Amino acid sequence: MEKAEVAQKIYELVEKSIGKKKLKSSDIQKQISADCGISRDEVKEALKDLVDEGKLIYTYFGGSFVEIPPKE
Amino acid sequence: MPKKYETPLLDELEKGPFPSFVTEIKKAAARSDMAADELGQLEKSYRDKRGYWKHGGIVGVRGYGSGIIGRYSSLREQFPNVANFHTVRINSTSAFFYTSQFLKEMCDIWDQYGSGLTNLHGSTGDLVLLGTNTENLEPIFAEFSSRGWDLGGSGSAMRTLSCCVGPARCEWSNINTLDINYNLTQEFQDEMHRPAFPYKFKIKTAGCAVDCIASIARADLSIIGTWKGKIAVDQSEVANYAKKGMNITEEIVNMCPTKCMSYDGSKLTINDADCNRCMHCIAKMTKALKPTGEKGATILMGSKAPFVIGATLSWVIVPFMKLEEPYDELKDLIRKMWEFWDEHGKNRERIGELVIRKGMREFLEFIGVEPVPQQVKEPRRDPFFFWTEADLQK
Amino acid sequence: MSAPQRRTDIGPPHYKDFLPPVIQKNYGDWKYHEVLNAGVMVHVANSGDKIWSVRVASPRLLSTDTIRDMADMAEKYCGGYIRFTTRNNVEFLVSDEKNLTPLQNELKAKKYMMGGIGSRISNIVHTQGWVHCHSACTDASGLVKVLMDEFADYFTTKETPNKVRLAVACCVNMCGAVHCSDIAVVAIHRKVPVVVDHDKVKNMCEVPSTIAACPTGAISPDPAKKSVKVNADKCMYCGNCFTVCPPMEIHDPENDGVAIVVGGKVGNLRSNPKFSKLAVPFIKNNPPRWPEVVTVVKKILDAYLADAKKHERVGEWIERIGWEKFFKVTGLPFTFQHIDDFTIARETFRTAATFKW
Repeated sequence: MEKAEVAQKIYELVEKSIGKKKLKSSDIQKQISADCGISRDEVKEALKDLVDEGKLIYTYFGGSFVEIPPKE
Repeated sequence: MPKKYETPLLDELEKGPFPSFVTEIKKAAARSDMAADELGQLEKSYRDKRGYWKHGGIVGVRGYGSGIIGRYSSLREQFPNVANFHTVRINSTSAFFYTSQFLKEMCDIWDQYGSGLTNLHGSTGDLVLLGTNTENLEPIFAEFSSRGWDLGGSGSAMRTLSCCVGPARCEWSNINTLDINYNLTQEFQDEMHRPAFPYKFKIKTAGCAVDCIASIARADLSIIGTWKGKIAVDQSEVANYAKKGMNITEEIVNMCPTKCMSYDGSKLTINDADCNRCMHCIAKMTKALKPTGEKGATILMGSKAPFVIGATLSWVIVPFMKLEEPYDELKDLIRKMWEFWDEHGKNRERIGELVIRKGMREFLEFIGVEPVPQQVKEPRRDPFFFWTEADLQK
Repeated sequence: MSAPQRRTDIGPPHYKDFLPPVIQKNYGDWKYHEVLNAGVMVHVANSGDKIWSVRVASPRLLSTDTIRDMADMAEKYCGGYIRFTTRNNVEFLVSDEKNLTPLQNELKAKKYMMGGIGSRISNIVHTQGWVHCHSACTDASGLVKVLMDEFADYFTTKETPNKVRLAVACCVNMCGAVHCSDIAVVAIHRKVPVVVDHDKVKNMCEVPSTIAACPTGAISPDPAKKSVKVNADKCMYCGNCFTVCPPMEIHDPENDGVAIVVGGKVGNLRSNPKFSKLAVPFIKNNPPRWPEVVTVVKKILDAYLADAKKHERVGEWIERIGWEKFFKVTGLPFTFQHIDDFTIARETFRTAATFKW
């Protein structure tokens, strides 16, 4: 699976969970690797790219989570 | 010129011999609007007997989820310069050794981009830069990282590691605490900067059982140096201690927890087989007594402050491990521990709490460590225990 | 001016770059050390080389002005080498003996407080307090200042039977090893958290994490308000819920204050590491100088100084004489709060007929 495709899946998962459950990095790794049949390291790499590009950010409040940054 | 606040209550804390934190804040407040408002808000806290900070949030540097802690004043109208007053954690050096050159560069950066206030160091051991606003975070990170310094940990991540002064300046260290600290920090950079654990994870390394870094009380993984071998006795130095007024029977022999020593007025004898390596005699007679033989560490886990199940001290999982570069056995153990935690841990559950919830057996089997009596103070006293099918076949 | 090129995942610089040459040369090869006085010790290597450490007190919260001043002195007398201790003291690392006296003279002239080495009261480990923390129910820096002012002589000169490790925590989260200190001050709440605005809970908090944060199971969902409710009979006011869900307001200036705990240690010498135990359940916050707290800590310290044997830590002294005797010699009242009713309570009940009158 292409890295960009994995990134897209991750973004969709985070988007879908808004208002329901805040996801931890490990939640995303477990979910996407199971859904796509890829290794967790591959998910981690794609997630790292998303965060480096600023499409997703880490938030922290009662634990650390991955979320979509708020619109300015 | 920063605003000047009247601080009659805080002024009381500039009196007396001990160096005053109020004087420190005032020095910074003479130059920095942020430090001035910090001082003003603190005076109000002293008047009202309560704090005015809000926590949490989303600020950080690009790519990292760790190292910056969002802090906001709940009185932003009154103290606008601390409306955003974030903490920057810089990963300190092993055993907190610095050069004046670095400290001065750090001060220059921090005066340009922050409040001019620091903590040397925070409780976990970070070099803490106390208070700046959001737009300064990226420039601060660029200034430090371009000079070879990185951020420390925060949130559900591996936190900044710390260690005792160890072999750098102590005759008792059984392991290279500074190197273990540095090596593990470099090995686990991703785990520090991109929080992916259920909660925080702290590692502290002490060279001996004196434990000057308090690893047994405040680390999810406590590494404490020890040895397997005899304590070498220099009888002429023993005589010197006696000559200088030490009551060896009273202060050394009678205080030995295992009663493994005797002293006949001229010769100190140690029954090494009974010694539990507590360090009392060695610490009091450092010129006369030296551990010999194989050096390594006891690996313990699980200590933490009271939330949620009550405070814990770390407990032994591996009684003795040789620790030599590249520390592969230790790294493998750490990765196994994290795997177990990743699989079973809940949000905000420390690894020690998880092991207590799941039971030591499941944990030890997962990480591949055999049960040994050194792991417990005493065997269980209740008759309620599990048998697996495999146990029944034995 | 544009910022320089950022780098990620580089970690801290190598420690060797910060070690004085004499340490690099004798790394791992030290023979012994001697405490020359409260503020100076010398380490001697097997090679015969020596390094002197001059220790001074620090409030931990330092301005860049003070750090620059320390750096200047390190340059002048120590080849630029300086370190900090676990307890936030500063150590000037002197390789050349002839710099020792001039350094001490300059420190003295500038009113730095030298000391803390050996069987004494060293610096107090403490937390952030009202200076910078959201959950503080006292100010840690202020308490440290007033206690160290009171006990300054035990830092600079006078000896104690063994080290006395003090700590201050501004809430029961206890950043730092407060729970294993000889004498520690820990700030506490005494009232149940109040949710004023349930809409805020709905917007800001995750209900399951809020419920899980409670050590006594006092928090349950309130489905009607999409919020949570607190069972006041079960709540022990720890404030952990406030940390994960700020609308659960627990600060109460009139009822917040501090408890004093005693007898903990982290070292393994003689006896095993120990937790600190409750000596005084509550003293009101009385800033700026908390005189009532100082009086109580002094009372405990004085009893220890009067009665402990050489090398006994506070906890070892108390265990030898017995806790019932501790309350007698200190004159501190024993209350219901002293008898544990948390999860580990039964471990602390007396299951023997042996005790002192």
